Amino acid sequence: MPGEYLEQVLRRETHSSRALPSIIAALLVCVLALYALLESMLRALDQPAWLADPLELVAAAARWPAGTSPVLLAAAGFVTLLIGLMFFLAAILPGRRAKHVLPHPRLAVVVADEVLAAALARVAKRAAGVAREQVTVVVTRHSVTVSIRPTSGIGVDTEAVRRAVDGELDRINPLPRPQAEIRVAPIGVVGV
Amino acid sequence: MNGTPRGVNRVLLALIGLVFLAGGGLMVAVATAPAFAAAWRRQAGRWIQELRDAAGATGVRGGPSWIWLVVAGVLVLLIITMLAWLAAQGRGRTALLVDSYRTGTGPGVAGRVVLQASVAEQAIRNALANRTDLVSATISTYEFRGQTGLKIRLVPRQGAAPEVLAAEVSALVEALESLTGHAVPVVLSLASGARARLTRKERVR
Repeated sequence: MPGEYLEQVLRRETHSSRALPSIIAALLVCVLALYALLESMLRALDQPAWLADPLELVAAAARWPAGTSPVLLAAAGFVTLLIGLMFFLAAILPGRRAKHVLPHPRLAVVVADEVLAAALARVAKRAAGVAREQVTVVVTRHSVTVSIRPTSGIGVDTEAVRRAVDGELDRINPLPRPQAEIRVAPIGVVGV
Repeated sequence: MNGTPRGVNRVLLALIGLVFLAGGGLMVAVATAPAFAAAWRRQAGRWIQELRDAAGATGVRGGPSWIWLVVAGVLVLLIITMLAWLAAQGRGRTALLVDSYRTGTGPGVAGRVVLQASVAEQAIRNALANRTDLVSATISTYEFRGQTGLKIRLVPRQGAAPEVLAAEVSALVEALESLTGHAVPVVLSLASGARARLTRKERVR
């Protein structure tokens, strides 16, 4: 494997930076703070409030649920709760991207799972002797699922497909190494 | 491979998320649980009274309270923090690949070597331009932890062998290294995009 520096780079490449939720959260807090700043400056300068006096606003919240419709309050609370949950989950979840690492002596190489799936689909198609539309490959972190719909009347050699897919996985050598599973549909298709 | 402060992102997102969760939870609880609403009104009413007393007692010569200026100052600090946080996202692009300086005391010739990032970017892009198994290639230069590195992002045509691409890019990088005399860390990212999905998988040759 490459050195410690490239290890850090690889970790960053395979995990989300959370830049988008951070930008949304920062803009949201900025807008709220700007409004509060305007109202409190008006209050400090002894000017009439623009939309509501800040102290009155806080006092109105202290009288809840009196003065508002409970349905409206619950709905607004639910939306706020969802926004908070979104930010909180973005912060605490691992944020793994759908990518695998390819060990390489010189470069830090990451490959998107879709690219991996396309490469595996190519060898599976060749080993099964079917058209490209009859093969579907789904790659997740620990598993590869190859689904083949055979041509009607022509069997598919599952073992040959498994050998081909395993051989290609050995050649590519993604980390973590996923387990391959071959599924042949019981119903064949004609003229795809 | 850029300077986005990931730890800061996680901490601030968690804090802001918790504030929103608490506010939303309070609103839902007050609206749906009468017992909780009564307790909330009692407690919050006491806080509001204290706040009003404080605002009244701190008035400057019978005018508005200086508390509002303190509140405004805190809000300005909050806004500055948020803007600094925004500006830190995705930072780290650089225009210089190599900037090395050697004095005359050691072996070799004394002097300064500066290589623009576009030297490496264009060399690699040109070397990859004629490949039929690539949809696009993007090369950018980043500074990460005080070291300049290249990021090569390739979108292969569907079915291209990733290990072959990695080997060939590695050969290119080694050639570039022997050309410039400087080794830089390189990240190769094989990605997928709409163009890879929509264009034909194999070309007729």
